Amino acid sequence: MTSLASESTPIRQWWVLTARGLGSALRGGSMLTALIAPIVFTLGFYVPLHAVITRFSGGTVEYGRFLMPLIALQAVSFTAITAAFVAATDAVRGVDRRFAAMPIPAVVPVTARVSASTVRCVLAVAVAVVCGHVIGFRFDAGPTAAVAFCTAALAIGVILTLAADVLGTLSRSPEATTRALAVPQLVLGMFSCGFLPLEQFPQWAQPIVRNQPVSQFTITLRALADGNFDAHLLVPTLLWLCALLGIVGWMAVRVTGRRA
Amino acid sequence: MTTTTGTPTTQGIPVTTIVPAAENSIRMLLPHTWLQSRRLLTRWRRDPMTVVQTLAYPVAMLVMLDVVLGRQVTAFAGHDALYGTVPMVAVMSALLGSLAGTINLRRECEAGLPGRLWTLPVHRASALLSRSVAEAVRIAATTTVILAVGTALGFRFHAGALAALGFVAVPVIFGVGFAVLVTTIGLTWSNTGVVEAVSLLCTLLLFFNPGFVPATAYPGWIRPLVENQPMTAAVETMQAFSLGGPVAEPLVRILAWSAVLIGGCAIPLARRYRRALC
Repeated sequence: MTSLASESTPIRQWWVLTARGLGSALRGGSMLTALIAPIVFTLGFYVPLHAVITRFSGGTVEYGRFLMPLIALQAVSFTAITAAFVAATDAVRGVDRRFAAMPIPAVVPVTARVSASTVRCVLAVAVAVVCGHVIGFRFDAGPTAAVAFCTAALAIGVILTLAADVLGTLSRSPEATTRALAVPQLVLGMFSCGFLPLEQFPQWAQPIVRNQPVSQFTITLRALADGNFDAHLLVPTLLWLCALLGIVGWMAVRVTGRRA
Repeated sequence: MTTTTGTPTTQGIPVTTIVPAAENSIRMLLPHTWLQSRRLLTRWRRDPMTVVQTLAYPVAMLVMLDVVLGRQVTAFAGHDALYGTVPMVAVMSALLGSLAGTINLRRECEAGLPGRLWTLPVHRASALLSRSVAEAVRIAATTTVILAVGTALGFRFHAGALAALGFVAVPVIFGVGFAVLVTTIGLTWSNTGVVEAVSLLCTLLLFFNPGFVPATAYPGWIRPLVENQPMTAAVETMQAFSLGGPVAEPLVRILAWSAVLIGGCAIPLARRYRRALC
């Protein structure tokens, strides 16, 4: 009976389900889209706007260098949207109900999906860094800053993934969720000071732009990459992430509580 | 289709004379197509996702592009950036609507609705023709709304009223062509990933057309792509219709693109559709 006991530990279950998620990510192509997404964002933002922004700012803004944190952020948000798709697919195909009927702790399927998505997230950050290098971004502040930057981007990505997973599970509609999340991602991304320097926005929009989450995330990431990191820059980011986690945590409890 | 005509009552019992009009007669094509188009349009109007995707998002996009990049692009282009973004957003709305329509069609096929309609005495061409008609009506409507928002932001027609009609006609024609293509793709590959990939490609092409930033802002290596992709032809034609300038050359290009899409996909689409029914 020992073999049975070892197979039914939550850790083992988590591992099996994570492997399932990774397998379907490899076969379904979402691993590939996670790799392509940062390249698409780089091409889509940098290539058309480089000349426009350089001319408008009179050459004071190095756009490639400026844009890279947003590319990393958009790349991880893209993997979060994929996670919503996966979660909604699981929900609508009855996989969730099936798991709920089995002796698996309620958190294991969610954790496994987030773990599989974290792998996509790591790939996305790595490609984003390479893309950033191509368009002129450098970690001048040394390897510590580089590690801090990547860790922060990854942490934001994982939290967004968790949120997206809950939304997908709730919506039970893979296509609708993907589409519904893709445009806010673009809008928040472009309406942020990761996209343009704050002073290039119209006066009335500046307070909104400055305080919205994506702006704060990019400000934190940029500070980490530059090495001139200040603790008070982290506060708004942490508050936004905590708020998101709070809402999502509450929703997740509702979702997993509504089992079977 | 059978039509009931003249109901004279003999001894109080209504007598219906049934005239067997061929369901595939030309006479039936128009009413059947219109009936099915109305069904699709009602469906879209009542589906919040389609409304959000074809109207709310493009309008939000238009306002955002004007707020965020309006001044920068205006400074670069020498004319108001709206003469690029309004056409671009209208085309985008048309394309996103077609993608949503394809997903709806797939869902209907899974539910067996087209197969059910096929068993009725309905003109055979009306099923697919009605999709194109419905697309055209939807795109004309969304383009008008986008134009209204653009006008509020400062967009004006400098080439007269007839040009305004031409402006609306361009996304309608190109949108129908794109819908034929994307429906064929959607019915050929059952994997949702393919439609998603097309969607991603469209998003990418959005960033590489002269509606986003003027063509001269793109680096030389990508300019051939920017100048020759189909959306560019649509945007340039619409720009010429609104801002004034030579219209014929881009108009011919966009008509050619649409003709190629429709001509290339019509027969495969009809075959895929019949296969999807059973």
